[in-house]
Amino acid sequence: MTAAFDRRHFLRLGGGAVTVVALGACTDATTRAPSGTLAAPGETVADSAATTTAAAIAPTTPIDSSGAVFSGRRLVVVQMNGGNDLLNTLPPTDSTYRQLRPTLAISADEVVALDGVTTCGLHPSLAGLSPLWQQGRLALIQGIGFEVPNRSHFVSMDRWWHADELGAPGWLGRVLDEMPTEPSPLFATALGSGAPLLNGRTVQPSVITSPESFRWVGIDPEWVDAMGDDPSAGDLAAAARHAFHRTVQAVDDFSAVTGGDATDDELPEREGGATITAGLAVAAQLLAADVGTQLVVVSASGFDTHANQLPVHAELMADLGDGLVEFMAAIEAAGLSDQVMVIGTSEFGRRAAQNASGGCDHGAGGFAFALGDGVRGGLYGEVDLGDLLDGDVRPTIEPTALMSRCLEWLGVDASSLPGDRNDALPLLR
Amino acid sequence: MNERDAVAWLHRRAGFGLPPQELRAAAERGATDELTRLLDPTGAGAPPDGDRWDDALLPLDPKDRPSKQHAIGVWVETMVATDRPLVDRMAWLWHGHFVSALDKVKVARLMVDQIRLFRSTGLGGFDELVRAVTLDPAMLLYLDLRSSTGGQPNENYGRELLELFTLGEGNYTEADVQAVARALTGWTLRPGEGVVRFVERRHDDTPQRALGVDGVHDLDTAVAAVTAHPMMVTFIAGVIAGELLGTADEPTVALLAEVFGAAHDIRALVGATLQVGLAGQTAPVVLAPVPWYVIARRVTGANPPARDALRLLRSAGQLPLLPPNVAGWPGGRAWFSASSLVARANLAALVAAATPDGEVLAAAAGDDADLLAEALGLSSDGFSDDSIAALAAAPAGRDRLAVALITPEFLIA
Repeated sequence: MTAAFDRRHFLRLGGGAVTVVALGACTDATTRAPSGTLAAPGETVADSAATTTAAAIAPTTPIDSSGAVFSGRRLVVVQMNGGNDLLNTLPPTDSTYRQLRPTLAISADEVVALDGVTTCGLHPSLAGLSPLWQQGRLALIQGIGFEVPNRSHFVSMDRWWHADELGAPGWLGRVLDEMPTEPSPLFATALGSGAPLLNGRTVQPSVITSPESFRWVGIDPEWVDAMGDDPSAGDLAAAARHAFHRTVQAVDDFSAVTGGDATDDELPEREGGATITAGLAVAAQLLAADVGTQLVVVSASGFDTHANQLPVHAELMADLGDGLVEFMAAIEAAGLSDQVMVIGTSEFGRRAAQNASGGCDHGAGGFAFALGDGVRGGLYGEVDLGDLLDGDVRPTIEPTALMSRCLEWLGVDASSLPGDRNDALPLLR
Repeated sequence: MNERDAVAWLHRRAGFGLPPQELRAAAERGATDELTRLLDPTGAGAPPDGDRWDDALLPLDPKDRPSKQHAIGVWVETMVATDRPLVDRMAWLWHGHFVSALDKVKVARLMVDQIRLFRSTGLGGFDELVRAVTLDPAMLLYLDLRSSTGGQPNENYGRELLELFTLGEGNYTEADVQAVARALTGWTLRPGEGVVRFVERRHDDTPQRALGVDGVHDLDTAVAAVTAHPMMVTFIAGVIAGELLGTADEPTVALLAEVFGAAHDIRALVGATLQVGLAGQTAPVVLAPVPWYVIARRVTGANPPARDALRLLRSAGQLPLLPPNVAGWPGGRAWFSASSLVARANLAALVAAATPDGEVLAAAAGDDADLLAEALGLSSDGFSDDSIAALAAAPAGRDRLAVALITPEFLIA
């Protein structure tokens, strides 16, 4: 029991005391982390015991003498949930492709040629990426997947999120756990559905399911924040207060960046909600703003194209292509070209042969990409339609290889990731 | 725990809370009596089953959008209005355990029928429940059993039956999954009809060895092999203890498994579990958005616009009938994500704005934090000093009520 508030008669003190609490909350809530620094004032040091445990998994996050994390570098991960179809994303020139997909193959005259590549081209809806390819900033990866694949969405996503170490924190969440102080709330932000790859043991990302509804309606965040924040108690109630405190800051930072437009949040038609284009637009705003954002995951669903794939997938590819082109333009305008890398992943590729419903079922080797000034553009991996694995493209590049490059891009030692083929993807300049 | 706190605990964990006057009446009767009433609401003078869905609004049409809103909205109202709190709490629990989801099943009527199954059988025999779930039309669609044939068995249902529904990972082999999948082939349905049929020529009747049992070849032998497996009672006792007690320590689970092992009677298991809880062996549980919202509605008497409420529940990450995947909703601290907390706070404000005059609103307008805690059905420990600071920051009345609904004391049961 505090002296200021009597439990049974907490209001008899009158408005004066109330104002003090509200003002305190206000000051705290509106303090923003300066760009490039670790945390807002008053934020707490991560639990030391947990930090020690996690040290076995990931090394300390690099911070340079000016206090910049990752030397200011940023990473954006685009998650194509549902299992994006590799073979129609990068249609092979091998005639077997057309035999496997009599009505589903992209016709040869529509495929966008990739300069210097004879084995495959680009889906026509990705034509906008051609200039980035020609500039050598786009790495296209085919046949990525775990050596022993699993065709369940659930299991495969889990393996991607946790670098194939189930029960461990997310592969980027491990990095968050290693920060000497808890980063500002939008340092790691997931847009769209949740992104367990960003979940640490002690530090969690800000998950913003839909930007339109990420605002307070009918409740004043100062009241919420008046709960205070002392996570040292370590119990669930303290965790709730801490989460509310960070959320108040996250909404504040987020609305300062996006303008906090109060739009009508009618349920979106597309399964899983937001598009990649919309997510990447918000990601670009966050990265260019002064809120300390350095890790963003944009996730979008709809890639589980079991039926009627041609028109559905064309729309998805247009969303991806347009989103990336607009994102790169925004990043360039913000002068961040040399600091941002984007990768795209999906839990698996799809079956080489089409099914009876004009789609294709869950497969193995899939598609990924990396994009940015720091990326050595080109085609990585191979597809051999004459040597399938149970009807699927054989996985030849480990997902952990791509994760390793991402960690190296951020200046984090990647040697603790599992897998012995992680050097096989030299896509960093 | 004093008698009043014990009853309040029971209703927050095993029901959906009670308005203040009903909570006082229940406290008068005492926790033992209340537990008996919760467990057996079917005796003389028992309340009606309270099925509020209108089948005329639930056509067997996957494209019918209004039926989806009806199915979800009415289930929320059913929980709010329930006179059989434990029955509806168990239906909710099984929905998160034997998962099907409307986005794949598509026909809302079939999802409603599955919830009806949980409401009618969720406190009965577990073996019977497993058998019924296996043949449930929504489940046949959700986990693809309907397209599983002797020539091409689909292992989706067989795998989840063992991994998530009955035994838990590590208690079966890949060969067990395949054998169970074969035994369950032949059951199918047309979604537009919603009637499950057994098609002999789609079934593989070859006797197999599954889960250590020989001669598994059809539905009955497969269900028997699964439910008789020695790990089943432990796994299910752990699930129930985790949900209702917030903890599943080994000695407690072993004790509960023994009770459950006698006849695989869910009512006996749940009764024993709640008795353990009343004896003080519980840990805090973060209330998921739906039970939290239903409790807030029942306690305050508020009836906010359904459309706004469902939209906010969706933002909070939990709409009934739409679990994210076959494992259900991730619980605990996952509910502390930024988006989810913002939506909860906004939903709290929506509830507070719709709260009619009465004991709760009067307490929120008054100056006594303990009185407000009591009216909201919280433990007599009341609000923490941190929460009182937040309550004091908000203007008296509806604003303060909104804050009270998102204090850790109200969010965590």
